[in-house]
This record gives sequence, structure tokens and C-alpha cells, in this order.
Amino acid sequence: MADTAIWNFKQLAHHELDGFGGIGEGMSIQIAKDGRRILWLAHESAPKNFTAVDVSDPRAPKLVARADLPQSHMRSNSLETVGDIMAVAYQTTRPGLQPAGFELFDISVPENPRSITFFDCSGPHSRGVHQLWFADGQYIHMSSGASDFVPSHPKDDQFYRIIDVKNPSKPVEVGRWWLPGTKEGDSEPPPVRHPENADTGFRPHNTNVYPERPDRAYLGYIDGGLVILDIADMAHPKMVARWDYHPPYFGFTHTVVPFFDRNLLIVSDECTRTEGQDWPKLVWIVDGRAETNPVPISTCPLPPLENFMRRGARYGAHNLYENLPKPNAWKSDRIVLATFFNGGLRAYDTSNPYQPAEVGYFVPEPPARAPSGAIQINDVFVDERQIVYTVDRHVGGLYTLEMEF
Amino acid sequence: MSAGSTRSKWSSETGPEALFGGKDISPFGRRQKRPRGPRLPVVVVTGFLGSGKTTLIRALLDKPEGAGTAIVVNEYGEIGIDHALLRSSSDATVLLGNGCLCCNVRSDLQETLRALFADRARGAVPSFARVVIETSGLADPGPVLQTFATDRALGREFHLQALICVVDAIAGAANFARMPESRKQVALADRIVVTKSDLAEAGATERLVERIATLNPAPVGIARNGEIDPSFLLDEPLAVRRNFDLAEADHTHGLDSFSLIFDEPLSWPGFEQAMAVLMSLRGPDLLRVKGLVALAECRGPVVVHIVQHVAHPPVELEDWPDDDRRSRLVFVTRGLAREPVAQLFASVAAFAAGGA
Repeated sequence: MADTAIWNFKQLAHHELDGFGGIGEGMSIQIAKDGRRILWLAHESAPKNFTAVDVSDPRAPKLVARADLPQSHMRSNSLETVGDIMAVAYQTTRPGLQPAGFELFDISVPENPRSITFFDCSGPHSRGVHQLWFADGQYIHMSSGASDFVPSHPKDDQFYRIIDVKNPSKPVEVGRWWLPGTKEGDSEPPPVRHPENADTGFRPHNTNVYPERPDRAYLGYIDGGLVILDIADMAHPKMVARWDYHPPYFGFTHTVVPFFDRNLLIVSDECTRTEGQDWPKLVWIVDGRAETNPVPISTCPLPPLENFMRRGARYGAHNLYENLPKPNAWKSDRIVLATFFNGGLRAYDTSNPYQPAEVGYFVPEPPARAPSGAIQINDVFVDERQIVYTVDRHVGGLYTLEMEF
Repeated sequence: MSAGSTRSKWSSETGPEALFGGKDISPFGRRQKRPRGPRLPVVVVTGFLGSGKTTLIRALLDKPEGAGTAIVVNEYGEIGIDHALLRSSSDATVLLGNGCLCCNVRSDLQETLRALFADRARGAVPSFARVVIETSGLADPGPVLQTFATDRALGREFHLQALICVVDAIAGAANFARMPESRKQVALADRIVVTKSDLAEAGATERLVERIATLNPAPVGIARNGEIDPSFLLDEPLAVRRNFDLAEADHTHGLDSFSLIFDEPLSWPGFEQAMAVLMSLRGPDLLRVKGLVALAECRGPVVVHIVQHVAHPPVELEDWPDDDRRSRLVFVTRGLAREPVAQLFASVAAFAAGGA
């Protein structure tokens, strides 16, 4: 069993979340009315929906609230908060099941989240919402199916949808976009599938929109690569750019984070297979100076495959810290923080984007009862105090850290 | 910056920063929280044979603050003994088998450290947070300091955090008298540890500390039973806060140690030119120059470190370490006195002001 490997991070605390430490890709800070700093976490899988942790003192996180999912055939995986409103994504294991969509909660009393509304995205071809972006208090940008959407291939069931939640009790869809050819009846031909054992679908994963460019959406489009959309007219999004590097690479483009001031795009893949079977899964640095022609210029260096591939479960890129455009989130256009499953959390300085340099890592020892015997660091968030929160996908729960680089 | 002075090799107007620098740009790369930035800290322990270096390091490893330390031992004489001692208490010990750690074996040290860094990255050795190098008693620290100066060497991965000199209260004074190298070790150090004071005759420690103060105004710590507060060994040295000028009587070969403090911010081209003149004319005698520079064009202070003809890449800090915002430089030289250096900086500053 590997010991904790830590470099230029300082571990402040570890909370296993009382036996339910499998966390997905939703991490969001709320400052409660009484001043407490609450970290909301979406669970990777049933039976838990979300967990709230008081991280006012990052050295002593305290469990505040936890909710169960209504059905075992669903997962929440993704959530965001704006003020006292929280949006939680619901995805089912198979198309046609319910509930699939997202739920809005009033979290003004963190101990007692109250449901405001449920927005239904279920349908015969829909698994609901995998991921949502909610930063401005008005629009939810998400990867979702819909009752009226028939994909040309069952794996392309989710697409980009924009929902106006200004009135939280009455969300209204205001726009949608899918890769041409992925909807039945499109005039364009369907995209060429990836090999059957590596076909993860032409559908969005993360759908990021920032105030620096409110007219742009940055999509990791899984097997379709990177997609930049013009959403100035939300009812009619238009594709501005697409960079598709698979094949030869395995698919699953996950997240696109623009460093606006520097004309760079940071792009992560998701590793979805064990023992290095889909290696390399990378974090790419992309030259975004010519918006319609993104050019990859480097990748973040990783330790050799042979040192991690046999540690158990996955080894490769997954989530990035996304510079969330919120007051309680850290911003950096130099440092990339990325999670790599059993490769832990890693930090890179992109000052020279042609040669990103590793400046820190945190690979905790495998949690007790880890089903694979390995740590699976899944997501990362940094608050404006520069406290880093990172989570394990299966059982390890929450780790709090300081950055020392 | 004035026109014609922007061709500095640190200039942000060329290279990747010109394409992707963004608005909030430092000419010296990403601003750092501390002088070492993300690099691995290296503590170099010098001191004559028998001065107590190994005991001091072993005591450090026994403390919680010493966890995660890789030791690199450079042996001279008693083969394997130091190594055996250290290995029992350290996770990653590397033995340099090539005798005195000076110029001609510097590449050994580089290769050793490079291998350590690579092994750490691939998980072949336990993850360590710092390196302590125990030099052999006769080693000249100069070449070791140079090792960390440039990217070509190890400056990208390692940072000289502190140079510690160990002097024993029994033999130290006699060594100063007989061996110029021992005075040089003290003069170059960031901190000095006096050992064996409990074994020395009454008054010897006090006399030794006074003698050390004539060579170097750096902090002096007295070890108790061979150990000292870990932070005294491991911390980044503080920038000098006062003027001093210590010159040995023999000006042709004697050591000089002095500070220069500037009330007004300097310009980088001016500073660079003054240092370039010094390095080209008196490089071999410029044993060590270190300090913080306040620059008109930078928000934070810039950390500079020069060893003979080699300059470490400057690092801009996010903030000043204390409320003193003046440029503060310490020079350790061989026979180069304070006055001509101060005059050189003054004339370069006057020239820059006149030409602006």
C-alpha cells in the first residue's frame, strides 16, 4: 500500500463523511446567513444524494446535513450553489427511468434543505442530467437528455441545454444545442463512432460559461472533443470552434477552462478505464489566440504509467479546478489544479504554457475499505481563502489542504 | 523601463510571456509566495571534520520537523560510518563515494540530486520534502552554491534554502587561525551553529562567537547536546536589515562581508548592469551576493542570488517579508571592499537617472 505522497500542499484535515465518502463532481461553497462556510458535495452514487460540511475551520470540518436519493437507480453527481439556492443534477442508470432532471433547493438553513422545484428531463431516451453549471443565479447550463429528444445513437442521449431559473419555482428552457448528426432526423450524418469498447458518446460533459465572455459556452464534448459555442442568442447557439483529437486518442473530453487574460484553454480528459487501458488521459494546454482554431501546445507532465497503472482502479486525468466565477472561489490564470484518480491531485504552473511545470501533488494513502485498494481523487475546489478541497470517488471523503507553491 | 534597456534576458517582451503573459505580468515569471517557489529546499551543512555535522543532522531527523528529509552524504575519510548512522533514521540516504565535494565532483552531486528527484516523481523513493546535504569537512561551499544557480544545473528543481556552517567550540578558533577554508565556510553561511560548548573550557564559546561575528553577522545558534531548534536549520534566512562592513586585515586575500541598503527603488536594468560589471571584472572574488531588491517596475521584492560568475534566476515575491521595503544586499567577497561596490551602484544609478 502506498503511503501518502505530498509535495507543496499541506494537509489540514481528512473527513471520511461517516462512511459515505464517495463523492462525485459537485463541490460548491455557500456562506450561510450565520456566517458559516458550508461546502456542498454531490455523491458519486446512490444511496446518498448530497452532503453538507461546515468548513469554516478547514482543520476541523463538521458534517452538517446529508440527504438520500429517492431511488437507487439514480445518482446526483453534480451540484452548484448560488447564494441560498442549490441545483442538484439527477441522472438515472438507464433511459426511461425517473426521476431524471434537476432539483432546486432552498439551503438558507443548511441543516434543512427544502425542495423548491424539480425540473423534469426524463424521457424514453433520456437519463436526465449528468452535470450542471450554475454560477450567475439565472441560468443553468447543463448536459441533459429531454423527453422530446431522440438521439441518432443511444449513447448520445445528452446534449447542451440552457435553463432560466430566475424564478426558481418555474424554470424555463431557453436554448439547446447538440453536435449536428447526433439527433435523429438531423440532415448531417451521425459522427463516426469510436471503437465499440471505447465508445463513450458524443455528448457534453462540462458546460462552462464565464462573465468574461457571457456569449461563449466552453464544452468538453466527450468523444467529440472541445466545443466552443456562441450563445449570444441563447435560443440559437452556434458552434465557433471544435477541436477533436480522437482518434488517435481515446475519447472523453471532460472540461474546458479558459484562461481569458492569457488566451489559453485548459482541457482535461476523463480516464474511464482501469489499469491504464485508455492511457494517456491528459490535461492539455491549448493556444486559444485564434478562437476558431484551437491549437494544442503541450500537456501537463505526469509520472510514468508503470508506477500507477497497477495501484488499482483508474489512473489519468479527470476534473480541473474551474475558476468558478463566484465570490467565494479562488481565481488563477497561472495555476492548473487537476485530479488524476490514483495519481491524486496535481498542480501545474503554466507561466510558460509550452512547458507546464508540476509544482505540487497530493496522493493520499488508499482509504480504509477502498474497494479497489486505491485512492481515486475525483474533483477539486479552491475557495477564496486558497483552501483546497479534494474528494475521493469511492470511500475516502473530503481532504482539506493549503497550497504552498 | 527606458528605451534601449529592455533586452534583459529576463524581459517579458520576448518568449512565451509575450504571447501568453496576460495583463498581470511579472518580468520574472509567476510571483512566488516565498523565495524557493515550488522548488525543493536544500539545506547545505558545512563545517570541519569532527565539528558535529552528523550529530546535528541525526538529531534533526529524530524530530517531527525533520520528517520527509532526504540526506545526501559526502564522505571524506571514515568510510561508511556517517552513511550507516544516517541511513538508520532517514528514508532516502544517498552516499556520494567520491571524496571531497568540491568543483571536480560537482557533477556527482548533480547526478545524485537529479536521480533523487526522478525517483521521487515516479514513487521509487518515499516522497520527501527537502534535501539536507552534509558536505565533507574540507569542502569549499562555493561550487555547491553554484550547483543550484542555473536551470542547466539544478536550479529548476532545487533551491538552496540555507547554508549552515557548524563550528565546534573546542577546535573552531584554532581552525580559523590555521585553515582559511574554515573562515570562508563561516563567511558564506546563512546561519552558524556552535557545537560542543558544553565540552569547551569556560569562556571559549563566547570568544568563538565574537570571532564569528567578525566574519559574518548572521545568526549564531548554540547547539545543546548536539541538537538545535529545527527551524534554525530549515528556515529561509531573513533579509539583512542593517548596514555592516566586516573586512579582514589582509585585503589581497582576506574576506570581506558587507551590506548595501538602498532607500529608493532600483531599476532592473541598472541593477543588472552594475552586477554584470562586477561579475565580469571580479567574478572569482564575488563569493556570494544575496538579497532582496525593490524595483520600480515590480510590485513585490525580487530575490537575487549570485555566486561568482553565476546568477540564480531572480524571483519576484508576492509580498515583502517585513515592513522594510528597501533593497538590501549582502556581499561576501575576497578582497573586494564595500566602498568601490557602493560607488559602482551609485554611478550606475546616476547614469540611469540622467539617461531616463
